[in-house]
Amino acid sequence: MSNGNLRVGRVLRASTRGFAIGCAVMQPDIPAFGSFVRAEGQRPGSAIYGLIYDVSVEDDPFVRQLISAELREEDQEVVVRDHRQNRQVPVEVSVLAVGCGDGTAIRHCLPAQPPITLDWLYQCTPEEVRAFTTRLDYVRLVLEAREVPADELLAASLRAAAAARPEAERETFLVEAGRELARMLAGDPVRLEGLLRRLCS
Amino acid sequence: MTLELSRVAAQVRAMGEELASREQKYADLVELARRWLAEYADQGERLRHPARALRAAIPTGEPLDAVYPLPDVPARFTVVAADGSQVQPDRHGAALYYLINVGSLVYRHGSGEAPAAHSEPALGYAEADVYEGGRLVAGNLLDVRRDLAEITRLADLCAAEPPGPTVALVDGTLILWVLEGHDQEWPRAKVTAHLEQVHRIRQAGAAVAAFTSRPRRTEVTRLAYLAGLDGDANRASREPNPLEHLPDRAVFEMLPPGARSALFVSPPPMDHSTPPQADDMDRVYFCYLNVAAGGHDPVIARIEFPAWVAASPDMSALVHGAIVAQARITGDYPYALARADELAYISAQEREAFEAMITTALLRAGLRSALSPKAYYKTLTRQGRRKHRV
Repeated sequence: MSNGNLRVGRVLRASTRGFAIGCAVMQPDIPAFGSFVRAEGQRPGSAIYGLIYDVSVEDDPFVRQLISAELREEDQEVVVRDHRQNRQVPVEVSVLAVGCGDGTAIRHCLPAQPPITLDWLYQCTPEEVRAFTTRLDYVRLVLEAREVPADELLAASLRAAAAARPEAERETFLVEAGRELARMLAGDPVRLEGLLRRLCS
Repeated sequence: MTLELSRVAAQVRAMGEELASREQKYADLVELARRWLAEYADQGERLRHPARALRAAIPTGEPLDAVYPLPDVPARFTVVAADGSQVQPDRHGAALYYLINVGSLVYRHGSGEAPAAHSEPALGYAEADVYEGGRLVAGNLLDVRRDLAEITRLADLCAAEPPGPTVALVDGTLILWVLEGHDQEWPRAKVTAHLEQVHRIRQAGAAVAAFTSRPRRTEVTRLAYLAGLDGDANRASREPNPLEHLPDRAVFEMLPPGARSALFVSPPPMDHSTPPQADDMDRVYFCYLNVAAGGHDPVIARIEFPAWVAASPDMSALVHGAIVAQARITGDYPYALARADELAYISAQEREAFEAMITTALLRAGLRSALSPKAYYKTLTRQGRRKHRV
C-alpha cells in the first residue's frame, strides 16, 4: 500500500489524537501545512490518516553559533550546502489524526491505537485524498480540535482535497464543502464567514 | 536529586575566589615569561640542548618571540578533517564488544560545493578484536585504535583527493599516546603504524596538522624559565620553576588576530615509543596561533605538524592560513573538525538503539543475552521520570 508514496518522516511520539514526525530535511514537496498523510496502523492493511498542522525547525545550537559568528561571504555557499544537504536538520512535523482505515473502508474518527515510534509517515496520493474526502465528516474533528489552527487547517485541507480532483470537479467539491460547513457552523456565522473566505482565497 | 548543591556551594565559592587570585598571579608571570623570551630571542641554538634535557620546547631557527602574520591562502584549497568516538567494552552489557565511529569532512574552500561528510563505524567483537596481549581492549588500548582509525581515514581521504593544496586536520595532538603495553615493542609497533599513515598523507602531497583548542601545555614557559637561568639545565631542574603551571597559551595571548608564534620542536615522548625507523622528518613541531578575527578576544590554539611540513614554507603557510580560515567560519574552532566530531559522536540514544540491535541479533542467533544484575539495576535507578507529550 505504501509503495510509491512519498515518505514524510518517522514517528517520534504519538497519541490517538495525533503524532509528531521527525524529518531530516525540508523538501519542496513535503511536508506542507494542511497535507493529508497516512501512517500504517498496528493491524496489517490498516492505516491512520491525519493532517499536517505544524512544521517546525528544531533549535540547533551549532547553527546558532554560525549565525552569531556572521558567516563570511566566501564561506556562505559551502556551509549552507553542508547544513542543507549533509546535516540532519531537525524538522518536526505535527499531525492531527482525522481518520483510520482497515483496508476496505475509511472512517472519519480518531484511531483506536496510535502509530508507534519510528513508523513511517507517508504523504497521501491524490487517489487516497479523493477516497478520504468522499465524505467530509472529518471536518468536525478539525473544528473541534484544540491547540491547532483549526480554521486555517480545515481550509488548507479542503483546498488540498479539491486540488487532488480533476479540474472540472474542483469547484463542485468546494461548493459542497461550503454547504457542509454551513450546516456545521449554523450557530456561528462569524466563524463560518471567515472559513468560507479562507476557502475561496 | 543526589548531588546536594547546598553542601558544595561553599567549596564552589572558594574555588571562584582561588581562580580569581590565580589569574592575577598569572598576569605577573606572563610578563616575566615574555620578558625572558624577548631577552633570549636569538639564543635559540644555545638553548636547544638544555631544552631537550629539561623536556622544554626546543627552539628552531626562528626567534623565540617571533610573530608571523596571517599568510595569504590560495583561492581554492581543501581541508580534510577526521575525528573519532568510541563505545568502550562493557562487561556488564549484553555482549562484549567495542565500537569505533570515525567521522570525516572534506571541505573544499572556494568551490561552492557541499562538503563530503562521512561516518564509518567499526565493531570489534571477535576474541582477537576485544583482547590484545591477553588484556581487554579498553581505555588507552582503545584510544590508540581510535587514533589509528582517524589517521588512516585521513590518509585514505588525502589519497583520494585530486592534486591541489590540501590540509589534513586532527583534533588534539599528532603524538600517539601509548600508555600501556605488555612489552617495549608493542608501543613502537603502534607508533610505527601511526607514522605509516602520516607518511601516506605526505605521499599524497597533503600537509597534516593537529589542532588543540585551549591548550594547557607548558613547554614554552619551561623554555622561558630555562632562558631566564641562562640555559643552565641543572639549576632549572633543581630550583622551583615559578612558571611551572603557567600554560603557554597565556604567554601568546598578545598575538595579533590570525598571527602565529615562533615554531618550536616538541620534546619526544618519555615512553621510548619512538620507533628506530622514525627520522628527523617525523619530529613534531608546534606553534601557537590566534584564530580570532580582529575586534574579538584572542583565541589561542596550539598547532602541531611534522618536520616535513615545517621544512616547507608553502606547506606551513597553508596550514597556518587554512586553520584560521576554518576557525573563522565558526568564530573560534575549525569548522571541519566540529563537523567531524558531530559525525563521529555516538549519542546516548544511538547507543541505546545500538544495544537493542545487538540484543535482537543475539536472540536471532539463538542466544539469550541479559545485562548483569548491576547494569540492570542501573537502568532502573538512573533513568529518571519519563515525559509524555504530544
